[in-house]
Amino acid sequence: MLPLLHIPDGFLAPQVALALWLATALVLGIALRKIGDRNSTAGPQTILMGISGAFIFAAQMFNFPVAAGTSGHLLGGVLAGYLLGPWAGSVVMATVIGIQALLFQDGGLLALGANTFNMGVIGTLGGTFVARGIGATLGGTRLAALIGVGVAAWLSVMAAAGFTTLQLGLSGTTDIRLGLPAMLGTHALIGIGEALISVAALSFVAASAPEILRTHQARDAGTSASPARRLVAAAGVIVTVVLCASLFASASPDGLMKIAHDLGFSSKGSAAPFELFAGYSIPGFEGPIATVVAGLLGVLIVAALLVGLSKIAARRRGE
Amino acid sequence: MSLLRGPGQRDARAAIITTLCVALAIALLPAGSYLAYAVVWLGVATAAALSGIAPLALARRGAIALPFVLAALPLLFTRSDEILWNGTVGSASISISGAGLRILLTAAAKAWISVQLAILLVRQHPIESIVGSLRALRLPDALATGAGLTVRYLDLLRGEASRMLRARSARSASPLGTTRERIGGTIPWRARVTGNLAGALFLRAYARAARVEEAANARGATGSLSLGALRERDPHVAAKSGLAVALFALITVAGAVLPRM
Repeated sequence: MLPLLHIPDGFLAPQVALALWLATALVLGIALRKIGDRNSTAGPQTILMGISGAFIFAAQMFNFPVAAGTSGHLLGGVLAGYLLGPWAGSVVMATVIGIQALLFQDGGLLALGANTFNMGVIGTLGGTFVARGIGATLGGTRLAALIGVGVAAWLSVMAAAGFTTLQLGLSGTTDIRLGLPAMLGTHALIGIGEALISVAALSFVAASAPEILRTHQARDAGTSASPARRLVAAAGVIVTVVLCASLFASASPDGLMKIAHDLGFSSKGSAAPFELFAGYSIPGFEGPIATVVAGLLGVLIVAALLVGLSKIAARRRGE
Repeated sequence: MSLLRGPGQRDARAAIITTLCVALAIALLPAGSYLAYAVVWLGVATAAALSGIAPLALARRGAIALPFVLAALPLLFTRSDEILWNGTVGSASISISGAGLRILLTAAAKAWISVQLAILLVRQHPIESIVGSLRALRLPDALATGAGLTVRYLDLLRGEASRMLRARSARSASPLGTTRERIGGTIPWRARVTGNLAGALFLRAYARAARVEEAANARGATGSLSLGALRERDPHVAAKSGLAVALFALITVAGAVLPRM
């Protein structure tokens, strides 16, 4: 069982491929600026990143039998991000994915932007932030860090598989209704292998050379974003996901409404006293745009409520 | 000051630009333009033959992308337009869509030709030359240096990984005549052993990076390592790039003019 994450050329619509090239170039540009602030290209970080690229290649050779005829192997995005820092890790994965496309034709040249976006940006950069977030939330212990890396490694594979399917769906080369469950189902198993190997590898490094992890965490702490910027970044990610997901919202009734309709008691329901966005629609908008705008407004209202309630809670704590 | 400068690489800029132009032109070809795909493939196969690469071997290697066709397979059955066949299998009613089949064949053909195009590029130009040429095409220095180092240390670390795998196999040997199915314990145990190998390999890579850095510092390296710098630049790269753009236009016109199915 091998991951189907390296999209070849011919499967993405040119406009989808070019849009993802732009998005990837933007994120990599930010990553290079973050890394470049600290070192010249002859500095230790660049040398470590370059040799770590070769490490990721070589580590992908390590497979282990899962069941008869199938084996799991490391993809390495979250591991690279956790060991080298999220920005450096994403640059390393971009390099690895690029060389894989050129040297082994594993993924297309036009699709390189999409593949780097799915595995290098979402999988590595996003995955590492998730790993660190979970680790910090659970108390910042070594066990918490390992749990964070395990969960994030699994999520990184699932997210990459999900985004791959969505991009194929947008390009018209797959049916998302069938493709998404199939891809996520397959990659859920692959993700378990990724999580187990990542946790074991990090555990080995933490036990053998803990100073390496401390050095990188201390350096990243000096350049990490402020809480406000993190909040804005997280909000941006959530809004993007909501907007993309709302485009694929089903027009069919949900489970309770369908049962009510089938059993003939749907007419007994009374209308709500007031409706803000009846049927997830906005006056003046039609079609998918109305759903997107309704979703966006819903996110903004919930975010405003959360911020307001957080301020009230903080004031209460201060009293 | 540039140190760690290798012997220098051939200029592959024109080849890279041509590959990208042709790949983009293939991607833009309309669905069902099978004649246009055949013409483009004939061009790629001819270029391969002129470069001393057997077109048949190239075509076989091009099949590497075909498993991805699985992603487009559902369209055969879920699209409801241009129905080619309608029937029942067991209790399920199944139809095969002509539009779905066209999308599937188009994606497969485009992927197959594009892979051969990429192979043609790397067979003609070593990866070090491509990295050096990408640097000359304004790829950011940190990315180019990282890619150069990755390529330079790839064989070395893969060799180390191979030796570690051989050692793992040797340690997991089973007595003759017994089943190998249970060798290696539970799945978490196997994953831990594999993770330990990856962790150990990372520490070796980390130690090597420190040695490379010390060597660079000892030689007084500052600024760029200039890995994969071009030995000499092709003076006709602009003209060749113009030809690549013309090729792009030609393929696009062929896609518009040649009949579709």
